[in-house]
Amino acid sequence: MTAQSIPADQLLSAIREAGVQDVVLVPDTHQRTVLDLLMDDEEIRTIHCSTEDEAVAVSAGLIIGGRRPMMQIQHAGLYASVNNLRGVALDGQFPIVLLIGLLGRDPELEPEEDGSSMVRLCRPLLETLDIPSHLLDGPDDLHHVAEAFDEAQERNGPVALLVGTTTS
Amino acid sequence: MTDNSSVQRMSLDAALDVLARRREEQVVVGTMTANGAWRQKSPHDLNLACIGFMGGASTLGLGVALSQPDRDVWVIDGDGSLMMQLGSLGTIAGAAPANLLHIVIHNGVYETSGSQPLPSQQQVDFAQMAEGAGYAQTASFGDAEEFDSAIDELLAADGPTLIQLYTRPADRFYSARPTPPGTTPALARMWPPVAEALAG
Ligand SMILES: Cc1ncc(C[n+]2csc(CCOP(=O)(O)OP(=O)(O)O)c2C)c(N)n1
Ligand SMILES: [Mg+2]
Repeated sequence: MTAQSIPADQLLSAIREAGVQDVVLVPDTHQRTVLDLLMDDEEIRTIHCSTEDEAVAVSAGLIIGGRRPMMQIQHAGLYASVNNLRGVALDGQFPIVLLIGLLGRDPELEPEEDGSSMVRLCRPLLETLDIPSHLLDGPDDLHHVAEAFDEAQERNGPVALLVGTTTS
Repeated sequence: MTDNSSVQRMSLDAALDVLARRREEQVVVGTMTANGAWRQKSPHDLNLACIGFMGGASTLGLGVALSQPDRDVWVIDGDGSLMMQLGSLGTIAGAAPANLLHIVIHNGVYETSGSQPLPSQQQVDFAQMAEGAGYAQTASFGDAEEFDSAIDELLAADGPTLIQLYTRPADRFYSARPTPPGTTPALARMWPPVAEALAG
């Protein structure tokens, strides 16, 4: 199995089709081509945060006010956001979808076999937190984006999408 | 440099009274010692609380403010809490919500955990930091009457606004009681009615 790169415009279409209104982000090197498109997008608002912990709380606040946000971060940011993932997203029961880039992942390997701790520990951490995750290992996996929003609503809690290779 | 050791300080009670007198239909996010006091002074179904995620009040309030631009949002933050998410000053200034008022209760200590001193307790000045971050307005008060006579003008102008209130800490600490299994956390109970009120 080799993970395929996802073209930026296809990922953006999937985000749009999921009804996302706000992308709450700390830049992810891995998804920079998508970020370029998002920042030029007229309909989807980007909200830039200093840390991923903040991005969780901003997303929760947006949901309270009736918006449909999505968090876009990288794996290092997942580790930086754990206290608010627990205290806000899980305890507060907020349906927050996180798009997490696995920067530097070896596309030939399962993330758990990766040499980098940032990649390797991502899914085990999400499992520990009881946050479901879906790996986007190519354009065929983009159906997970809209589905993740339904899953988050059903669970009343966060759901993670892992972008397996650098977007093109 | 600010010298906090000689600054005038009001009681938390007097500081919150000034705000409570202006309470209408704002969403208010409280945290730490100010939160309990606020809920007694201004009970309202638009009160939210940051409990169990220290530092998150400012950005929770930011999210609500950005989702509801026609509604005023007040955050009543702790100084130690803001210190923990200091980058939120930049996040808020960048997003620039005109409807956000960020109050910082500057008691100089972590009162809830036993009044230990803040790092840089003697010098830290959140109004200067917010100004440097790019807030539209900042102000500091150590006297409740002065705060009372200045606040209406501050509320009338566009935010984001940070008001630093120097208060006297009480000496107390919070001892967590065991949470029985199956308890719904405070935030999960509080936000759905707020969301409903904002949608309606
Ligand atoms: C991440 C994290 N670290 C430490 C604590 C312990 N703690 C609980 S309350 C508190 C102090 C809060 O201080 P401040 O925000 O200044 O509010 P005050 O109690 O002074 O009103 C601390 C350190 C915590 N709750 N969460
Ligand atoms: Mg304090």
